[in-house]
Amino acid sequence: MKIYGLELLRGLTITLGHFITSYTVGFKRTFKNRLRGRVSQHPDDKGIFTVQYPEERLKTPERFRVLPMLIFDGKKGEQWKQETERCTACGICAKVCPPQCIWIVQAKDASGKAVPKASEFTIDVDVCMNCGYCAEYCPFDAIKMDHTIELGGGERHQSHLFDINRLHVSTEYYAETHPKAWAEEQARKKADAEKKAAAAAKKSEPGPAA
Amino acid sequence: MTQPNVLYNPSEEQILEQEVRRHILITPWDKLLDLVNPVYNWGRRSSIWPLQFGLACCAIEMICTAASRFDIARFGAELFRASPRQADLMIVSGTVTKKMVPMIVRLYNQMPEPKYVISMGACATAGGPFKEGYNVVSGIDKFLPVDVYIPGCPPTPQALLHALITLQEKIDKQSIRTVRWYKKGPAEEVPVPRLGPDLFDVRRSEEIREKCAAPGFTSEPAATQKPAMIPAAKTTPTETEGAAPAAAALSRRINEALGPDTAIPAGASLVVSAGAIEKVGHYLKVQPDLHLDYLANLTCTDYQDCYEVVYHLASTGKPGVPIALKVRADKTDPRIPSVTSVWRGADFQERECWDLFGVWFEGHPNLKRILMWEGFEGHPMRKDYLEPYYESPAKIFPSRWKEGHHRRAEERTPFGDNVTYPAGFNPEEWVEPKESFRPGDAPSAGSAHTDTLVVNLGPQHPSTHGVFRMKIRVDGERILALEPVMGYMHRNHEKIGERNTWLMIFPYTDRLDYICSMGNNFGYAITVEKLLGVKPPERAEYIRVIMAELTRILSHFWATGFLLNDLGAFFTPALYAIEERELILDLFEMVSGSRMMCNYFRFGGVAADLPEEFMPLALALIRDRLPRAIEQIDRYLTHNEIILNRCRGVGVLPRDAAISSSAAGPMLRGSGVEYDVRKADPYSIYDRFHFKVPTFPEGDVYARYRIRIAEMWESLKILEQAIREIPKGEIQQGKKLWNIRVPAGESYGRVENPKGELGFYVVSDGTDHPYRYHVRAPSFINLTALETMCKGHLVADVVAILGSVDIVLGETDR
Repeated sequence: MKIYGLELLRGLTITLGHFITSYTVGFKRTFKNRLRGRVSQHPDDKGIFTVQYPEERLKTPERFRVLPMLIFDGKKGEQWKQETERCTACGICAKVCPPQCIWIVQAKDASGKAVPKASEFTIDVDVCMNCGYCAEYCPFDAIKMDHTIELGGGERHQSHLFDINRLHVSTEYYAETHPKAWAEEQARKKADAEKKAAAAAKKSEPGPAA
Repeated sequence: MTQPNVLYNPSEEQILEQEVRRHILITPWDKLLDLVNPVYNWGRRSSIWPLQFGLACCAIEMICTAASRFDIARFGAELFRASPRQADLMIVSGTVTKKMVPMIVRLYNQMPEPKYVISMGACATAGGPFKEGYNVVSGIDKFLPVDVYIPGCPPTPQALLHALITLQEKIDKQSIRTVRWYKKGPAEEVPVPRLGPDLFDVRRSEEIREKCAAPGFTSEPAATQKPAMIPAAKTTPTETEGAAPAAAALSRRINEALGPDTAIPAGASLVVSAGAIEKVGHYLKVQPDLHLDYLANLTCTDYQDCYEVVYHLASTGKPGVPIALKVRADKTDPRIPSVTSVWRGADFQERECWDLFGVWFEGHPNLKRILMWEGFEGHPMRKDYLEPYYESPAKIFPSRWKEGHHRRAEERTPFGDNVTYPAGFNPEEWVEPKESFRPGDAPSAGSAHTDTLVVNLGPQHPSTHGVFRMKIRVDGERILALEPVMGYMHRNHEKIGERNTWLMIFPYTDRLDYICSMGNNFGYAITVEKLLGVKPPERAEYIRVIMAELTRILSHFWATGFLLNDLGAFFTPALYAIEERELILDLFEMVSGSRMMCNYFRFGGVAADLPEEFMPLALALIRDRLPRAIEQIDRYLTHNEIILNRCRGVGVLPRDAAISSSAAGPMLRGSGVEYDVRKADPYSIYDRFHFKVPTFPEGDVYARYRIRIAEMWESLKILEQAIREIPKGEIQQGKKLWNIRVPAGESYGRVENPKGELGFYVVSDGTDHPYRYHVRAPSFINLTALETMCKGHLVADVVAILGSVDIVLGETDR
């Protein structure tokens, strides 16, 4: 004789299991993680926990990418200036951008001669596909991918066109969001500077022939 | 006391008023209503029921928002309603295409007030990366009032939750006095746009008519430079040196058997005379030593001197590289015999060639448009077809740099939108061509003389896995005939791809089968690497395999979970199945920066090395969590009586039919064909790993389900080996370049993606962008066999059968 409903019960035990785990794991987590702000899950944990957004947020890995941002050398809260701007308007980001959402105007000095700075830099956020090519291929570490996701709003025609002022963030901000990349960049720059100094020292020394 | 004080000398009325004021609190009606507002708004903001409606990639993130990790229920918005009549919120999640927008507007009109719209992601907001495409609407706000826009591609689940909170804040500010649904008069409906030679907004009919009638009006965009065209490859007579030896030998053999000049070699492929293609196909299929029974890919290229249709043939019995046959059609009136009688799998692919290239296939049983709609003007993949937003023949657009003053694409077109019409077009007189349907040819089920009925399923349906539609002819509940209708998410991947530089295509491939972006990257990378002649370093190869196999596991988890959804076990099994997916996505996000759109592979390597925290997490996942989760699903479902009853013997695809209709992946192996590209045409380093190709001979829904479970176990085996053996070292061959030129030539590369054989066919003319770029999409071609599987079954089984095929619309429609 076939007994109907056994499979149904078995299915329900699984649901019950998930239900119970959600409490045991949940309680543990409540004491461990509560109000930490940024949370992440290790695969050793059982089950899966709910991120209590907006009180807590998932920890974003450093490579996380949403929209591009321009970097200038300075502190948070400072205004970017052409001197501190890292971008040289070389245009590689605009050339490598798959949906072609980056628009750059090269700056000119008083006499009308082009200088290696950008005077206008526009990103159409509604076309950008967050691919990260601009940051990956920029030779000057001038454009990076921001981590901000809370961008929703009721308007798009003005606010979704990011201009050069909206795009610029300080190196201090960048160092906070990308600590590893920042450390690498500093190390590389230091090494380059040392190499340059060594080369310069060598040059200034009188050669054996002279 | 000269002035009499009124207070001391009040009239009767004044006394009365004073008394009333003293004892009764009088509030004006408006103020009273404002007191109700907080309660009224609290009620609405805490129970926003979204419409169960997804368009593209963003819909996947929307589903994740509803799943355990982000749990949209915390905001009272977990009740996704399948019917617009019960929904408050429409989350427009993904690319809005012209073919789909009439349905979206209709759905919106059916929603009762109060109703809200969230435009999720760049595509819904303004067309996104696909904005330049000919079938893409530049923003849903052209038709519907949008409350919240979310930038991002795709926005993460947390971004969607943020948007929901933003919407709640907006609701909090509403006042019962001013809301539009308590205004007098009938509710305003948005007029449904119509599909003519292009999409037209009926509110603008008059303007369109006037502009089209104006003298000198042309439908072509203002840009001056058209794409350059190249001639087709030269053929070489068999006897001369220069032809590839294999191709020369094969052509000699064909010519001996079927008459001289039937096949001439051209490089590594054969050019077959148009009249003989059916004969040659049949000959190659029946020859026991060749046994080319599997039509892997069929597509067309628009050359200067001809349309060249290319057939990639493989054998399911014998491993090897596919053989390419080509047929050239005249430029003015391209006509070619159909090969559907030899390989049924040619059916949809020939329709696609007709739709996009205008090549007519004589003898095709049902040749009509497949991705665009009947009545659409032009064949968009032809090189001389220019979209309304056309700017220049290839990227990089010169307007972007040095003097890149931003200008919206809309500003360049006569209609201020992504539309164009033929001169003299009058929208008011436009009549849509009637949709044809092949009459059902199956005999009536019972003896009673019942009428047959056509039922429409989709494109908005919770169980069609996206915007897919089926026209079904039923007799009672039994299916007599079924016709898939697609193109509701056709976002012009190939047309945009032919304008992109080689590197730019990578992030677009992410958006093909958006569940498996790593696998898509893989396929494209190896295809172009064949032409470039580069080989990634060892470590990169291992990383690639690890990513591809993790992708396979998460895709099969997804497919299994949602198959259960289709069987009626709504959402609980799917929730459990996609739990582990979240952890795999964490890994992807860690290495590539994005959960879904990884864009991680590069020519000759990968974008970045694995971060140091990757390995411990991956090991814990692969050795512990994933086996546990697969085991649980297996234990829970494999012997479940409901699964057995609903799946066994349902949707049977016999072995021969599976091969003939070019089914791929779990579909093919579920019908007992041991064919896996990883073994049949090994790529990357798959020849080093020990794994089995599981097959089940039954060919039913249950067999396809079992295949997926078995494949997950095999993937774990591969992962275990890969993680153990991965060497240290470089991850990129040579220097990483952004401006790559690919040597002239053509290449067909294929990988075994979770859905089946994913192929890329590229033709290079030696420049920095492909001349022809085609995707052989398993989700698209697998649907060829859908009717065969569904015939004779009940309507309720159709969704289960479709679920077992496991389609992703981004890939089906491209």
